[in-house]
Amino acid sequence: MGVAYKAVQWNRQKFVYDIILLTTVVFYLFCFEGISLQFSSDLDIKGIWIRAFGSAAFILLHVILSIGPLSRLSPKFLPLLYNRRHMGVTMFILALLHVRDALAWYHDFGNLEPLVSLFVSNTHYTDFIRFPFEALGGVALVILFLMAATSHDFWLTNLTAPVWKALHMGVYLAYGLLVGHVVLGALETNTHPFLTLAVGVGFVWIVGLHLITALREAQKDGAPLFGQPAKPQVDADGYINVGSVNDIPDNRAKIAVIAGERVAIFKYDGQISAISNVCQHQNGPLGEGKIVDGCITCPWHGYQYLPDSGISPPPFTEKIPTFNVKLQGDQILVSAIPNLPGTPVAPAVIDQA
Amino acid sequence: MSSLDPQDEFFIGYLGVPPRLKRFLLGFIPILVLGALAFAFILPPLHFDQFNLGKRTKVPEFEGLLVGQPSPHLLVPRTGDVGTVSDFSLYLLSGTGKTSPKPEVLEHVDQWVNLKGTPFHRNHLTVIATKSAEPIEPPASGPTQPDEGSSLGEFSLSGEIVDGKCYPGVMKPGRTKTHRTCAIRCLSGGVPPVFVVHNQAGDQLYFLLSDLDGKAVNDKVLDLVADPVQITGEVIQYADAFVLKADPATYKLL
Ligand code: HEM
Ligand code: HEM
Ligand code: FES
Repeated sequence: MGVAYKAVQWNRQKFVYDIILLTTVVFYLFCFEGISLQFSSDLDIKGIWIRAFGSAAFILLHVILSIGPLSRLSPKFLPLLYNRRHMGVTMFILALLHVRDALAWYHDFGNLEPLVSLFVSNTHYTDFIRFPFEALGGVALVILFLMAATSHDFWLTNLTAPVWKALHMGVYLAYGLLVGHVVLGALETNTHPFLTLAVGVGFVWIVGLHLITALREAQKDGAPLFGQPAKPQVDADGYINVGSVNDIPDNRAKIAVIAGERVAIFKYDGQISAISNVCQHQNGPLGEGKIVDGCITCPWHGYQYLPDSGISPPPFTEKIPTFNVKLQGDQILVSAIPNLPGTPVAPAVIDQA
Repeated sequence: MSSLDPQDEFFIGYLGVPPRLKRFLLGFIPILVLGALAFAFILPPLHFDQFNLGKRTKVPEFEGLLVGQPSPHLLVPRTGDVGTVSDFSLYLLSGTGKTSPKPEVLEHVDQWVNLKGTPFHRNHLTVIATKSAEPIEPPASGPTQPDEGSSLGEFSLSGEIVDGKCYPGVMKPGRTKTHRTCAIRCLSGGVPPVFVVHNQAGDQLYFLLSDLDGKAVNDKVLDLVADPVQITGEVIQYADAFVLKADPATYKLL
């Protein structure tokens, strides 16, 4: 974790994940080529590979974009999220191969440099149907490149989480650009209704899944999706009632929204502690984690924090904000103002009687 | 001491997958993988014009009359009884890239040549990606020139302007939107443009394009390739091909 940055920290799960991912991709590419050649032995092989790489990248992007919301909806999908960055990098490499071949095949061997040809051959930038769809793919590739290049945790720490997160939200811009790339390019040439249907279903799936997840999250936070959330009742000491201890299973947490920030309230060993919901690693939701070996364990990649101080156990050094807690009967009261990251807080002891 | 409750499964990447989650993944991951792989089987046959008959032919050299206008082409005498068809076959000429034949080839225009290159043909349209041409003596017997082209009248035709190299088989598909920028590169490099028209019977008709002075139109149609276009002009039967003669300024985007 925070001690040293290795290129990649390997374990069995990541290994199995990558084997499945890479075998599927390689299988896809060769099946695509093999099936194309079944129909005619005198085909333009370069064109087949351009389409194989492009479609593989586009399909993988749908999987990548689905994992986030799916694992918000059910923790069963978390193992897919665990190594999502390798899917992201794989997707980027497929896109790069697609672009390399498209540039060589459609733009080289002529009277202009391929990169110049890409932007000046078709200049109908203000026309919808005749729009140069290649440019949309080019911008998307730049975004994907920035994400892949800054994917390592080193960048996450040094760019700071908000900047890095903003960069990652760029994937949605890239997705939008690529839908445009496919609709105004491949779908104008390949007019078979199944292709249009497939791209449409993919788009509705991605947008719908994100909307459903956003609605569910808003419901859980007790906040409407639009407009102002209801103001929580802050008592004279600056504490907020977040509900009963009986709502929280042992070794698990409940998530409450305090001053617009999510707070994870854990119950373990007959005590209650409250800490920020945001994991220092990649902003994973700690409140969906579990107490394992006495530590709050993040559901995404297993970073750990001591519940009564928000500090990672040695040798690690991550620190997250804690919140003062007290109990009134079975009701939990949490301070509306966080403590500085790593501030020790005495847990509230549940009266067993 | 571990506080893991067997009923409250929790996945931690570096510790391994708990049993119920493992069962779920053993079902879900194969479905996901097979679902993705299915596209490798479904997509290829749905792509437009990729299984057309455009092919490379294995004839390495040709003898005929090299002509420069409207676009470079080679007129090759037909052998045997040609009946009512022309005495000559017309083969379009390009260079080996997105180019016209090299200057060393074109300096032999209006001479008989032995021409080496790679021919591609689709239906009755043939292009030769020309490598070299050496002058030869005209044939001792038979015609050495095709008849002057004969006018078939004025027509208004709708179709697509393609580049005469990719369309016959170098690229599949060698037309429409995805191929547009490539066609622009080809035409600006001097590959002969061809106007493809589908008649009511579903046959393809091919027309060489010529301006009113009999010259090439390449640079004037760059903005019209790959889109439906209407051209009104004089159709001329020339060797075994058609030439459509019109002012490119009057070509209409549909
Ligand atoms: C290459 C290294 C990558 C790493 C390490 C990485 C890791 C992450 C992490 C940890 C998040 C969660 C951020 C948050 O919610 O605060 C995230 C978000 C996201 N990343 Fe990546 N990613 C990488 C590349 C990519 C690429 C190339 C793509 C897509 C092509 C991608 C797709 C996404 C998406 C869709 C999100 C949206 C947030 C969500 O669904 O939770 N990632 N990425
Ligand atoms: C400068 C960047 C790009 C260029 C010049 C480019 C060019 C092309 C071209 C020419 C085609 C049509 C291929 C054909 O049917 O023969 C195409 C299709 C496609 N491209 Fe791109 N592309 C670029 C970026 C991307 C990126 C980043 C993606 C990422 C997913 C992508 C995904 C696709 C897909 C899915 C198709 C449809 C493939 C099919 O017909 O099955 N492209 N692209
Ligand atoms: S986000 Fe990676 S461990 Fe928490």
